[in-house]
Amino acid sequence: MNFKAERIHIAIAGGIIGIISVALVLLGNPANMGFCLACFIRDTAGGLGLHRAEAVQYIRPEVIGLVLGAMILSMARGEFAPRGGSAPVTRFFIAFFVMVGALMFLGCPFRMVLRLAGGDLNAVVGLIGFVVGIAAGVFFLKNGYSLKRTYKQTMVEGLSLPIVQLVLLILLVSAPAFIFFTAEGPGAKHAAVIYSLGAGLIVGALAQYTRLCMVGGFRDIILFREPKLLIGFCMIFLTALIGNLIFGKFHLGFADQPVAHTDSLWNFLGMVLAGLGCTMLGGCPLRQMVMAGEGNADSAVSYLGLLVGAAFCHNFGLAASGKGPTPNGKIAVIIGLVVLVCIAFMNTFGKKEERS
Amino acid sequence: MLREYIATFHSHFGAARFHKEKVKEGKKAYLQPVPRDLSSSCGTAVHFYVEDNGKSEPLSIKDPHGEIEQIVEIVGHSYKVCYAPLE
Repeated sequence: MNFKAERIHIAIAGGIIGIISVALVLLGNPANMGFCLACFIRDTAGGLGLHRAEAVQYIRPEVIGLVLGAMILSMARGEFAPRGGSAPVTRFFIAFFVMVGALMFLGCPFRMVLRLAGGDLNAVVGLIGFVVGIAAGVFFLKNGYSLKRTYKQTMVEGLSLPIVQLVLLILLVSAPAFIFFTAEGPGAKHAAVIYSLGAGLIVGALAQYTRLCMVGGFRDIILFREPKLLIGFCMIFLTALIGNLIFGKFHLGFADQPVAHTDSLWNFLGMVLAGLGCTMLGGCPLRQMVMAGEGNADSAVSYLGLLVGAAFCHNFGLAASGKGPTPNGKIAVIIGLVVLVCIAFMNTFGKKEERS
Repeated sequence: MLREYIATFHSHFGAARFHKEKVKEGKKAYLQPVPRDLSSSCGTAVHFYVEDNGKSEPLSIKDPHGEIEQIVEIVGHSYKVCYAPLE
Protein backbone atom coordinates (compact mmCIF):
# COMPACT_ATOMS: atom_id res chain seq x y z
CA MET A 1 0.00 0.00 0.00
CA ASN A 2 1.69 3.16 -1.16
CA PHE A 3 -0.47 6.26 -1.46
CA LYS A 4 2.55 8.36 -2.48
CA ALA A 5 3.24 6.13 -5.49
CA GLU A 6 -0.46 6.20 -6.38
CA ARG A 7 -0.38 10.00 -6.34
CA ILE A 8 2.66 10.09 -8.62
CA HIS A 9 1.04 7.63 -11.06
CA ILE A 10 -2.21 9.57 -11.23
CA ALA A 11 -0.34 12.88 -11.67
CA ILE A 12 1.60 11.46 -14.63
CA ALA A 13 -1.57 9.94 -16.12
CA GLY A 14 -3.45 13.23 -15.71
CA GLY A 15 -0.61 15.09 -17.42
CA ILE A 16 -0.66 12.70 -20.39
CA ILE A 17 -4.46 12.90 -20.67
CA GLY A 18 -4.31 16.73 -20.67
CA ILE A 19 -1.78 16.66 -23.52
CA ILE A 20 -3.92 14.16 -25.47
CA SER A 21 -6.99 16.38 -24.99
CA VAL A 22 -5.23 19.40 -26.50
CA ALA A 23 -3.80 17.24 -29.31
CA LEU A 24 -7.30 16.04 -30.26
CA VAL A 25 -8.45 19.66 -30.65
CA LEU A 26 -5.44 20.40 -32.86
CA LEU A 27 -6.31 17.29 -34.89
CA GLY A 28 -9.88 18.43 -35.51
CA ASN A 29 -12.12 18.08 -32.43
CA PRO A 30 -14.21 21.14 -31.42
CA ALA A 31 -12.45 23.71 -29.20
CA ASN A 32 -12.16 22.80 -25.51
CA MET A 33 -13.61 19.41 -26.46
CA GLY A 34 -10.64 17.09 -26.75
CA PHE A 35 -12.74 14.87 -24.55
CA CYS A 36 -16.32 15.23 -23.37
CA LEU A 37 -18.24 12.13 -22.43
CA ALA A 38 -21.61 13.91 -22.44
CA CYS A 39 -21.02 15.52 -25.84
CA PHE A 40 -19.53 12.38 -27.38
CA ILE A 41 -22.31 10.09 -26.15
CA ARG A 42 -24.80 12.72 -27.41
CA ASP A 43 -23.04 12.72 -30.82
CA THR A 44 -23.11 8.92 -30.86
CA ALA A 45 -26.86 8.95 -30.11
CA GLY A 46 -27.22 11.28 -33.10
CA GLY A 47 -25.03 9.08 -35.31
CA LEU A 48 -27.37 6.19 -34.56
CA GLY A 49 -30.38 8.34 -35.42
CA LEU A 50 -31.74 8.35 -31.85
CA HIS A 51 -32.12 12.11 -32.19
CA ARG A 52 -32.29 14.32 -35.29
CA ALA A 53 -30.19 17.33 -34.28
CA GLU A 54 -28.20 17.43 -37.51
CA ALA A 55 -25.31 19.41 -36.03
CA VAL A 56 -24.35 16.69 -33.53
CA GLN A 57 -24.45 13.30 -35.25
CA TYR A 58 -21.22 11.30 -35.25
CA ILE A 59 -20.26 8.00 -33.60
CA ARG A 60 -17.32 9.22 -31.52
CA PRO A 61 -14.40 6.73 -31.50
CA GLU A 62 -13.05 8.24 -28.26
CA VAL A 63 -15.87 6.62 -26.23
CA ILE A 64 -15.33 3.30 -28.01
CA GLY A 65 -11.62 3.52 -27.21
CA LEU A 66 -12.26 4.38 -23.55
CA VAL A 67 -14.34 1.28 -22.96
CA LEU A 68 -12.07 -1.03 -24.96
CA GLY A 69 -8.86 0.44 -23.49
CA ALA A 70 -10.16 -0.12 -19.96
CA MET A 71 -11.28 -3.63 -20.90
CA ILE A 72 -7.95 -4.62 -22.44
CA LEU A 73 -5.89 -3.37 -19.49
CA SER A 74 -8.23 -4.81 -16.87
CA MET A 75 -8.06 -8.20 -18.61
CA ALA A 76 -4.26 -8.00 -18.80
CA ARG A 77 -4.09 -7.19 -15.08
CA GLY A 78 -6.60 -9.88 -14.12
CA GLU A 79 -9.07 -7.22 -12.94
CA PHE A 80 -11.84 -7.80 -15.49
CA ALA A 81 -14.75 -8.87 -13.29
CA PRO A 82 -18.33 -9.08 -14.57
CA ARG A 83 -20.48 -7.66 -11.78
CA GLY A 84 -23.90 -6.03 -11.55
CA GLY A 85 -27.35 -6.09 -10.01
CA SER A 86 -27.08 -2.91 -7.95
CA ALA A 87 -30.38 -1.14 -8.71
CA PRO A 88 -29.93 -1.05 -12.51
CA VAL A 89 -33.22 0.70 -13.28
CA THR A 90 -32.57 3.41 -10.69
CA ARG A 91 -29.08 3.87 -12.13
CA PHE A 92 -30.57 4.23 -15.62
CA PHE A 93 -32.75 7.14 -14.50
CA ILE A 94 -29.98 8.79 -12.46
CA ALA A 95 -27.69 8.63 -15.52
CA PHE A 96 -30.51 10.02 -17.67
CA PHE A 97 -30.67 13.13 -15.47
CA VAL A 98 -26.87 13.41 -15.27
CA MET A 99 -27.01 13.87 -19.05
CA VAL A 100 -29.80 16.47 -18.72
CA GLY A 101 -27.59 18.42 -16.30
CA ALA A 102 -24.45 18.03 -18.40
CA LEU A 103 -26.20 19.19 -21.58
CA MET A 104 -27.54 22.21 -19.72
CA PHE A 105 -23.95 23.15 -18.86
CA LEU A 106 -22.70 21.83 -22.23
CA GLY A 107 -20.12 19.39 -20.97
CA CYS A 108 -19.35 16.57 -18.59
CA PRO A 109 -16.96 17.11 -15.63
CA PHE A 110 -14.03 16.21 -17.94
CA ARG A 111 -14.96 18.95 -20.42
CA MET A 112 -15.56 21.33 -17.53
CA VAL A 113 -11.85 21.01 -16.70
CA LEU A 114 -10.90 21.43 -20.37
CA ARG A 115 -13.12 24.52 -20.62
CA LEU A 116 -11.37 25.94 -17.54
CA ALA A 117 -8.03 25.24 -19.20
CA GLY A 118 -9.22 27.09 -22.30
CA GLY A 119 -10.02 30.21 -20.24
CA ASP A 120 -13.82 29.73 -20.24
CA LEU A 121 -14.90 31.39 -16.97
CA ASN A 122 -18.44 29.96 -17.30
CA ALA A 123 -16.81 26.68 -16.29
CA VAL A 124 -15.87 28.23 -12.92
CA VAL A 125 -19.59 28.65 -12.24
CA GLY A 126 -20.12 25.06 -13.42
CA LEU A 127 -17.34 23.86 -11.11
CA ILE A 128 -18.97 25.54 -8.10
CA GLY A 129 -22.28 23.87 -8.98
CA PHE A 130 -20.53 20.54 -9.47
CA VAL A 131 -18.93 20.71 -6.00
CA VAL A 132 -22.27 21.70 -4.44
CA GLY A 133 -23.89 18.68 -6.14
CA ILE A 134 -21.16 16.34 -4.89
CA ALA A 135 -21.42 17.78 -1.36
CA ALA A 136 -25.17 17.05 -1.44
CA GLY A 137 -24.41 13.51 -2.60
CA VAL A 138 -21.85 13.06 0.19
CA PHE A 139 -24.48 14.20 2.71
CA PHE A 140 -26.66 11.29 1.62
CA LEU A 141 -23.67 8.89 1.55
CA LYS A 142 -22.79 9.82 5.13
CA ASN A 143 -26.36 9.17 6.18
CA GLY A 144 -26.50 5.70 4.68
CA TYR A 145 -27.32 6.18 0.97
CA SER A 146 -26.83 2.94 -0.93
CA LEU A 147 -28.09 1.34 -4.14
CA LYS A 148 -27.21 -2.04 -2.57
CA ARG A 149 -24.28 -4.26 -3.45
CA THR A 150 -23.29 -5.78 -6.78
CA TYR A 151 -23.08 -9.49 -7.50
CA LYS A 152 -20.95 -11.64 -9.75
CA GLN A 153 -22.38 -11.91 -13.27
CA THR A 154 -21.72 -14.04 -16.32
CA MET A 155 -18.94 -13.21 -18.79
CA VAL A 156 -21.60 -12.39 -21.42
CA GLU A 157 -23.05 -9.72 -19.11
CA GLY A 158 -19.64 -8.16 -18.51
CA LEU A 159 -18.67 -8.20 -22.19
CA SER A 160 -21.96 -6.81 -23.52
CA LEU A 161 -21.05 -3.13 -23.60
CA PRO A 162 -17.51 -3.66 -24.97
CA ILE A 163 -19.06 -5.77 -27.77
CA VAL A 164 -21.60 -3.01 -28.46
CA GLN A 165 -18.67 -0.58 -28.74
CA LEU A 166 -16.97 -2.88 -31.27
CA VAL A 167 -20.20 -2.95 -33.30
CA LEU A 168 -20.31 0.88 -33.17
CA LEU A 169 -16.73 0.99 -34.45
CA ILE A 170 -17.66 -1.27 -37.38
CA LEU A 171 -20.67 0.94 -38.14
CA LEU A 172 -18.50 4.07 -38.01
CA VAL A 173 -15.86 2.69 -40.33
CA SER A 174 -18.23 0.97 -42.78
CA ALA A 175 -20.65 3.96 -42.72
CA PRO A 176 -23.87 2.23 -43.90
CA ALA A 177 -26.70 4.48 -45.13
CA PHE A 178 -28.65 4.34 -41.85
CA ILE A 179 -25.79 5.89 -39.82
CA PHE A 180 -25.84 9.69 -39.63
CA PHE A 181 -22.84 11.95 -40.15
CA THR A 182 -23.01 15.69 -39.48
CA ALA A 183 -22.09 17.75 -42.53
CA GLU A 184 -21.78 21.07 -40.70
CA GLY A 185 -21.53 21.82 -36.96
CA PRO A 186 -19.72 20.41 -33.91
CA GLY A 187 -20.42 16.84 -35.05
CA ALA A 188 -18.46 17.49 -38.25
CA LYS A 189 -15.42 18.56 -36.26
CA HIS A 190 -13.42 15.52 -35.33
CA ALA A 191 -9.95 14.07 -35.50
CA ALA A 192 -9.34 11.14 -37.85
CA VAL A 193 -10.83 7.88 -36.55
CA ILE A 194 -7.42 6.31 -35.93
CA TYR A 195 -6.28 9.22 -33.73
CA SER A 196 -9.58 9.45 -31.83
CA LEU A 197 -9.67 5.71 -31.25
CA GLY A 198 -6.00 5.62 -30.21
CA ALA A 199 -6.55 8.52 -27.79
CA GLY A 200 -9.57 6.77 -26.31
CA LEU A 201 -7.65 3.52 -25.86
CA ILE A 202 -4.77 5.29 -24.07
CA VAL A 203 -7.03 7.40 -21.85
CA GLY A 204 -9.22 4.36 -21.06
CA ALA A 205 -6.19 2.34 -20.03
CA LEU A 206 -4.71 5.19 -17.96
CA ALA A 207 -8.04 5.85 -16.26
CA GLN A 208 -8.42 2.14 -15.49
CA TYR A 209 -4.93 1.95 -14.01
CA THR A 210 -5.30 5.08 -11.88
CA ARG A 211 -9.10 5.02 -11.23
CA LEU A 212 -9.25 8.64 -12.38
CA CYS A 213 -12.62 10.16 -11.48
CA MET A 214 -13.62 13.79 -11.12
CA VAL A 215 -16.49 13.03 -8.75
CA GLY A 216 -14.33 10.63 -6.75
CA GLY A 217 -11.73 13.37 -6.44
CA PHE A 218 -14.03 15.81 -4.66
CA ARG A 219 -15.88 13.02 -2.80
CA ASP A 220 -12.61 11.68 -1.34
CA ILE A 221 -11.52 15.18 -0.34
CA ILE A 222 -14.80 15.72 1.54
CA LEU A 223 -15.01 12.20 3.01
CA PHE A 224 -11.36 11.35 3.76
CA ARG A 225 -9.31 14.51 3.07
CA GLU A 226 -7.55 12.37 0.42
CA PRO A 227 -6.48 14.44 -2.64
CA LYS A 228 -5.16 11.58 -4.81
CA LEU A 229 -7.94 11.44 -7.42
CA LEU A 230 -8.15 15.20 -7.60
CA ILE A 231 -4.44 15.43 -8.39
CA GLY A 232 -5.17 13.69 -11.70
CA PHE A 233 -7.65 16.32 -12.76
CA CYS A 234 -5.42 19.14 -11.55
CA MET A 235 -2.73 17.76 -13.84
CA ILE A 236 -5.19 17.51 -16.76
CA PHE A 237 -6.02 21.18 -16.15
CA LEU A 238 -2.37 22.19 -15.90
CA THR A 239 -1.10 20.42 -19.03
CA ALA A 240 -4.17 21.38 -21.08
CA LEU A 241 -3.72 25.00 -19.93
CA ILE A 242 -0.04 24.98 -20.97
CA GLY A 243 -0.96 23.34 -24.30
CA ASN A 244 -3.71 25.89 -24.95
CA LEU A 245 -1.35 28.77 -24.15
CA ILE A 246 1.34 27.39 -26.47
CA PHE A 247 -1.04 26.81 -29.38
CA GLY A 248 -3.07 30.01 -28.95
CA LYS A 249 -6.22 28.22 -27.80
CA PHE A 250 -6.55 30.09 -24.50
CA HIS A 251 -9.21 32.83 -24.48
CA LEU A 252 -10.04 34.18 -21.03
CA GLY A 253 -13.58 35.40 -20.42
CA PHE A 254 -17.27 34.58 -20.22
CA ALA A 255 -18.49 35.66 -23.66
CA ASP A 256 -17.89 34.01 -27.04
CA GLN A 257 -16.52 30.78 -25.63
CA PRO A 258 -16.75 27.72 -27.91
CA VAL A 259 -19.82 25.51 -27.40
CA ALA A 260 -20.81 27.35 -24.21
CA HIS A 261 -23.37 29.86 -22.96
CA THR A 262 -23.13 32.59 -20.34
CA ASP A 263 -26.27 31.92 -18.26
CA SER A 264 -24.61 31.42 -14.88
CA LEU A 265 -27.68 30.24 -12.97
CA TRP A 266 -28.31 27.39 -15.38
CA ASN A 267 -24.62 26.54 -15.77
CA PHE A 268 -24.60 26.25 -11.97
CA LEU A 269 -27.82 24.23 -11.64
CA GLY A 270 -26.91 21.96 -14.54
CA MET A 271 -23.70 20.96 -12.82
CA VAL A 272 -25.39 20.64 -9.40
CA LEU A 273 -27.61 18.04 -11.08
CA ALA A 274 -24.64 16.32 -12.75
CA GLY A 275 -22.56 16.35 -9.54
CA LEU A 276 -25.35 14.94 -7.39
CA GLY A 277 -26.23 12.27 -9.95
CA CYS A 278 -22.62 11.21 -10.49
CA THR A 279 -22.07 10.89 -6.72
CA MET A 280 -25.19 8.74 -6.48
CA LEU A 281 -23.87 6.57 -9.34
CA GLY A 282 -20.42 6.29 -7.73
CA GLY A 283 -18.48 8.02 -10.48
CA CYS A 284 -18.41 10.56 -13.28
CA PRO A 285 -19.29 9.54 -16.88
CA LEU A 286 -15.59 8.84 -17.61
CA ARG A 287 -15.41 6.49 -14.63
CA GLN A 288 -18.68 4.81 -15.68
CA MET A 289 -17.18 4.04 -19.12
CA VAL A 290 -14.04 2.64 -17.51
CA MET A 291 -15.99 0.48 -15.06
CA ALA A 292 -18.17 -0.76 -17.94
CA GLY A 293 -14.93 -1.78 -19.65
CA GLU A 294 -13.96 -3.68 -16.50
CA GLY A 295 -17.16 -5.72 -16.82
CA ASN A 296 -19.45 -3.69 -14.54
CA ALA A 297 -22.96 -4.19 -15.93
CA ASP A 298 -24.39 -1.40 -13.74
CA SER A 299 -22.04 1.06 -15.40
CA ALA A 300 -23.13 -0.31 -18.77
CA VAL A 301 -26.72 0.50 -17.75
CA SER A 302 -25.53 3.99 -16.77
CA TYR A 303 -24.11 4.35 -20.30
CA LEU A 304 -27.54 3.45 -21.70
CA GLY A 305 -29.14 6.03 -19.39
CA LEU A 306 -26.70 8.68 -20.64
CA LEU A 307 -27.36 7.67 -24.27
CA VAL A 308 -31.15 7.78 -23.94
CA GLY A 309 -30.90 10.99 -21.89
CA ALA A 310 -28.90 12.61 -24.69
CA ALA A 311 -31.47 11.54 -27.28
CA PHE A 312 -34.30 12.98 -25.14
CA CYS A 313 -32.38 16.22 -24.62
CA HIS A 314 -32.24 16.87 -28.36
CA ASN A 315 -35.62 15.40 -29.33
CA PHE A 316 -37.45 17.50 -26.72
CA GLY A 317 -35.36 20.66 -26.82
CA LEU A 318 -33.82 20.20 -23.37
CA ALA A 319 -30.18 20.73 -24.36
CA ALA A 320 -28.72 24.22 -24.12
CA SER A 321 -26.74 25.75 -26.97
CA GLY A 322 -24.40 28.68 -27.47
CA LYS A 323 -27.51 30.88 -27.38
CA GLY A 324 -28.35 29.71 -23.86
CA PRO A 325 -30.69 27.30 -22.10
CA THR A 326 -34.18 26.50 -23.38
CA PRO A 327 -37.39 26.76 -21.29
CA ASN A 328 -37.82 22.98 -21.65
CA GLY A 329 -34.25 22.44 -20.47
CA LYS A 330 -34.81 24.58 -17.35
CA ILE A 331 -37.94 22.58 -16.47
CA ALA A 332 -36.06 19.30 -17.05
CA VAL A 333 -33.19 20.34 -14.74
CA ILE A 334 -35.65 21.25 -11.95
CA ILE A 335 -37.50 17.93 -12.45
CA GLY A 336 -34.12 16.14 -12.42
CA LEU A 337 -33.10 17.74 -9.12
CA VAL A 338 -36.44 16.81 -7.53
CA VAL A 339 -36.29 13.23 -8.84
CA LEU A 340 -32.67 12.69 -7.73
CA VAL A 341 -33.30 14.09 -4.26
CA CYS A 342 -36.35 11.79 -3.95
CA ILE A 343 -34.28 8.78 -5.06
CA ALA A 344 -31.51 9.75 -2.64
CA PHE A 345 -33.98 10.17 0.23
CA MET A 346 -35.67 6.84 -0.43
CA ASN A 347 -32.35 5.02 -0.61
CA THR A 348 -31.05 6.75 2.52
CA PHE A 349 -33.84 7.30 5.01
CA GLY A 350 -36.42 4.93 3.55
CA LYS A 351 -34.60 1.75 4.58
CA LYS A 352 -34.20 2.15 8.33
CA GLU A 353 -34.99 -1.51 8.96
CA GLU A 354 -31.79 -2.53 7.17
CA ARG A 355 -29.56 -0.18 9.09
CA SER A 356 -29.21 -1.93 12.45
CA MET B 1 0.87 -5.92 19.85
CA LEU B 2 -1.64 -4.49 17.40
CA ARG B 3 -2.31 -6.20 14.08
CA GLU B 4 -3.34 -4.02 11.17
CA TYR B 5 -6.12 -4.85 8.68
CA ILE B 6 -7.95 -3.34 5.71
CA ALA B 7 -11.49 -4.39 4.83
CA THR B 8 -13.06 -3.64 1.44
CA PHE B 9 -16.79 -3.69 0.72
CA HIS B 10 -19.38 -3.97 -2.01
CA SER B 11 -20.79 -0.53 -1.09
CA HIS B 12 -19.88 2.64 0.83
CA PHE B 13 -22.79 1.91 3.16
CA GLY B 14 -21.29 -1.47 4.07
CA ALA B 15 -17.99 0.22 4.90
CA ALA B 16 -19.65 2.89 7.02
CA ARG B 17 -21.63 0.28 8.98
CA PHE B 18 -18.54 -1.90 9.57
CA HIS B 19 -16.58 1.16 10.69
CA LYS B 20 -19.30 2.09 13.17
CA GLU B 21 -19.29 -1.47 14.55
CA LYS B 22 -15.52 -1.48 15.02
CA VAL B 23 -15.58 1.88 16.81
CA LYS B 24 -18.41 0.58 19.03
CA GLU B 25 -16.23 -2.45 19.90
CA GLY B 26 -13.58 0.02 21.06
CA LYS B 27 -11.20 -0.74 18.20
CA LYS B 28 -9.12 1.88 16.45
CA ALA B 29 -10.62 2.17 12.94
CA TYR B 30 -10.94 4.74 10.19
CA LEU B 31 -12.44 5.06 6.72
CA GLN B 32 -10.15 5.52 3.71
CA PRO B 33 -10.21 5.05 -0.08
CA VAL B 34 -9.56 1.48 -1.25
CA PRO B 35 -5.81 1.12 -1.97
CA ARG B 36 -5.20 0.63 -5.70
CA ASP B 37 -3.08 -2.49 -5.19
CA LEU B 38 -6.03 -4.13 -3.44
CA SER B 39 -8.71 -3.41 -6.02
CA SER B 40 -9.59 -1.44 -9.15
CA SER B 41 -12.70 -0.23 -7.29
CA CYS B 42 -12.63 3.37 -6.10
CA GLY B 43 -14.84 2.70 -3.10
CA THR B 44 -14.41 2.99 0.65
CA ALA B 45 -12.28 0.73 2.84
CA VAL B 46 -11.98 0.42 6.62
CA HIS B 47 -8.48 0.42 8.10
CA PHE B 48 -8.60 -1.11 11.57
CA TYR B 49 -6.44 -2.60 14.30
CA VAL B 50 -6.93 -5.68 16.46
CA GLU B 51 -5.03 -6.59 19.63
CA ASP B 52 -2.99 -9.77 19.10
CA ASN B 53 -4.24 -12.09 21.85
CA GLY B 54 -1.75 -14.86 21.13
CA LYS B 55 -4.07 -16.78 18.81
CA SER B 56 -2.80 -17.51 15.31
CA GLU B 57 -5.71 -15.46 13.90
CA PRO B 58 -7.14 -12.90 16.34
CA LEU B 59 -9.74 -11.63 13.89
CA SER B 60 -13.33 -12.73 14.41
CA ILE B 61 -15.45 -11.85 11.40
CA LYS B 62 -19.20 -11.37 11.35
CA ASP B 63 -20.80 -10.41 8.05
CA PRO B 64 -24.56 -11.00 8.38
CA HIS B 65 -25.34 -8.56 5.55
CA GLY B 66 -22.82 -10.03 3.06
CA GLU B 67 -21.20 -6.67 2.49
CA ILE B 68 -17.54 -7.53 2.99
CA GLU B 69 -15.58 -8.04 -0.23
CA GLN B 70 -12.37 -9.05 1.54
CA ILE B 71 -10.25 -8.41 4.61
CA VAL B 72 -6.46 -8.38 4.39
CA GLU B 73 -3.81 -8.09 7.07
CA ILE B 74 -0.95 -5.69 6.40
CA VAL B 75 2.24 -7.67 6.85
CA GLY B 76 5.30 -5.54 6.15
CA HIS B 77 4.78 -4.08 2.68
CA SER B 78 2.33 -6.73 1.50
CA TYR B 79 -1.14 -8.05 2.21
CA LYS B 80 -2.25 -11.41 3.58
CA VAL B 81 -5.83 -12.27 2.70
CA CYS B 82 -7.73 -13.19 5.89
CA TYR B 83 -11.28 -13.29 4.59
CA ALA B 84 -12.66 -13.44 1.06
CA PRO B 85 -16.19 -14.90 0.99
CA LEU B 86 -17.22 -16.93 -2.04
CA GLU B 87 -20.25 -15.66 -3.96
